[in-house]
Amino acid sequence: MKTDNHQHSTDQELLAQFYTGHDNEWLGILLQRYTMLLLGVCMKYLKNEEEAKDSVQQVFLKVIQELHKYKVEYFKSWLYMVAKNHCLMKLREKQGKFTAEINDRHMAQPAEETDRQALLQNDHAMELMEVALKELQTEQQQCVTLFYLQKKSYQQISEVTGYNMLQVKSYIQNGKRNLKILIEKKLMSEKNRK
Amino acid sequence: MSENYKDILSNLSTDVDQATLLLYLQGKLSEEKKNEVEKKLIQNEFDDDALEGLQEIKDKQQIQYMVEMLNRDLKKKTEKKKKMREKMKIKDQPWLYISMLILILLIVISYIVIHRMLRP
Repeated sequence: MKTDNHQHSTDQELLAQFYTGHDNEWLGILLQRYTMLLLGVCMKYLKNEEEAKDSVQQVFLKVIQELHKYKVEYFKSWLYMVAKNHCLMKLREKQGKFTAEINDRHMAQPAEETDRQALLQNDHAMELMEVALKELQTEQQQCVTLFYLQKKSYQQISEVTGYNMLQVKSYIQNGKRNLKILIEKKLMSEKNRK
Repeated sequence: MSENYKDILSNLSTDVDQATLLLYLQGKLSEEKKNEVEKKLIQNEFDDDALEGLQEIKDKQQIQYMVEMLNRDLKKKTEKKKKMREKMKIKDQPWLYISMLILILLIVISYIVIHRMLRP
């Protein structure tokens, strides 16, 4: 059976097989890798287990019907975009509110972003990190330190700080983003001084 | 410590497999392993959204069953088309042969009729 033989194939390899012969069985193997994630995304937006399951099935169908029309390079990002748009459309139908569709910006990783990453990964940036960490808001500083430096789980951080799990995650995400901005600013001002 | 700092700025997402994610959701991982999984998940919007949604499912033991059911349905969808295509192929062939035979017969009959009509 194809499923058993292709556990180690990459998404790109399975996608290439699908595009070559338009055999949906390849797509089935590829989609199965993301069933749980799709269920989670649908559950996050729709907040209902039955609706989430139905939506996963509809996303599967949409992918089977539409994938051959596009040349998709990053399957995971494309699939996320399809699932999220599907859920937002469902919510719009339900609530009658405008919900913006996400576009294919998620599908590519611009070269600019890669350069930025390389710059942020150098040793000097690591030195600046210590200073920047102290400039974060207390909640963000606390959660980032516990998560990345002391390797605590969300649950442990929640117990230590008294914040709920969603707050913990949000402080980590915002803290991480702000740290990058602070370090970039420091690197830029150093560059300008030279 | 510097390695830990690198984790903060890293954007290299390494996927978490579904089995590990399930163990995480069912609370069967050590705190250290949980932190590892969370660090991977937080780097990718898809994974992060999924984690948030999966945590809202009340009975975590049901997740695996739900996924299996969805996969079974997916398999039907992707296999059905293939079987249908194969069926079509088998059905296609006899009609093709019959059509070809009729065409050849028509050509032969036309030839004989025209040939007879043109004979003085």
